Amino acid sequence: MRPFTLNYTLPKGLPTVVMPYRFDTSRQLNVLPNGRPAVSDRDLLLAAGTTTSTAGSQTHFDD
Amino acid sequence: MTVLILTSEEDVTADMVVSRLHETGIPVMRLDPADLPGKAVLSAEYAHGDFDGHLSVNGHVLSMRGLRSVWVRRPGEPAAHAAHPSPWLTAETGQALFGTLHSASTRWMNHPRNAEQARLKPWQLRVAHLSGFAVPPTVFTTAPRVAQQFTEEHRSVVVKSASGPPRDDPALALPTTLIGPDTDFSAVAAGPALLQRYIPKRADIRLTCVGDRLFAARKTAEPGQVDGRYGDTEHTWEAVPAPERIGKSVHEYVALAGLAYAAFDFAEDEDGIWWFLECNQGGQFGFVELETGQPISEAVARWLSPRKTDRRVTGSHW
Ligand SMILES: Nc1ncnc2c1ncn2[C@@H]1O[C@H](COP(=O)(O)OP(=O)(O)OP(=O)(O)O)[C@@H](O)[C@H]1O
Ligand SMILES: [Mg+2]
Repeated sequence: MRPFTLNYTLPKGLPTVVMPYRFDTSRQLNVLPNGRPAVSDRDLLLAAGTTTSTAGSQTHFDD
Repeated sequence: MTVLILTSEEDVTADMVVSRLHETGIPVMRLDPADLPGKAVLSAEYAHGDFDGHLSVNGHVLSMRGLRSVWVRRPGEPAAHAAHPSPWLTAETGQALFGTLHSASTRWMNHPRNAEQARLKPWQLRVAHLSGFAVPPTVFTTAPRVAQQFTEEHRSVVVKSASGPPRDDPALALPTTLIGPDTDFSAVAAGPALLQRYIPKRADIRLTCVGDRLFAARKTAEPGQVDGRYGDTEHTWEAVPAPERIGKSVHEYVALAGLAYAAFDFAEDEDGIWWFLECNQGGQFGFVELETGQPISEAVARWLSPRKTDRRVTGSHW
């Protein structure tokens, strides 16, 4: 028998967008192709979903 | 004196804090325990009654004696990126890394021991009650009959998971779902159910506590809406003041739980009462800061920055 709570799972649309930033090992943060920190682009961060509460729940249980 | 941030490379929320620390010239080392051993290197030597050691990654070096604070943000499992990962290697690496860090005299956001306890949802409800919050009637059970009775008593009940969606399947979501007494509860015997009285809510509240600073945000709910995280609405997060009573209870809660950082979820009902739903010790704040402009990353950076070690703030009992 399947655990009760799992009757309430739903497929989640996984994000298909590839984020244009990469980790800069010397500055220790993610940067855009133009060298600016990813955090300087608010719209991009909101779109990335990596700062939202459901994003964390994918990999972490305490979001 | 260096701030150690344990998190993955792709964690852009940590970037928000790293860039604040850069602005104030405070040395940072960002390390993902998943990169140890490999990209990251650790040595700690026990001599003269204390550990002296170094951590290094990507050309950055941290001396254990120069450790200012540790922020456990979103770390990978130790050794997860190793050439031959295994549960044993994870355990060995965890011992080496966390064993050494626990021996250092430093402040933690949050101390792993307190974090582990704070993740337990039944415990959260108890501490919330002790702190003076309104807590909805809740049951955890593996007995179908108990689940049935609870739902008959409260009529509208939500199901949620205590630990989040299944972690081995990232394509599955587990939204909090409304159910009624006509539900078939037989499968409760196959896995514990967490049921809670449904709170008809006007708004979701997210309150982020950083040290003693509070940032409350509110998002209006659609009529009848259950899980605010799924399904887009017109509404966005807006900064609101935290009522004084709530502030007192928050301080009480984080003191009892020994947390330097905590993100509280409340449901605001039609009478304006904030019902405690949960307290996430590692809760995400990026979306709140981006939408409300509340300076949470700055508060985190400030908390991590003091030079002098004050163990009391970690709530540790040695
Ligand atoms: N008893 C309740 N009545 C009404 N809505 C609720 C109730 N419990 C939770 N919700 C709603 O469901 C959503 C998620 O709630 P909650 O944070 O408790 O769930 P969770 O699955 O533990 O989430 P997380 O992944 O953040 O740990 C929120 O929008 C919240 O308002
Ligand atoms: Mg939550």
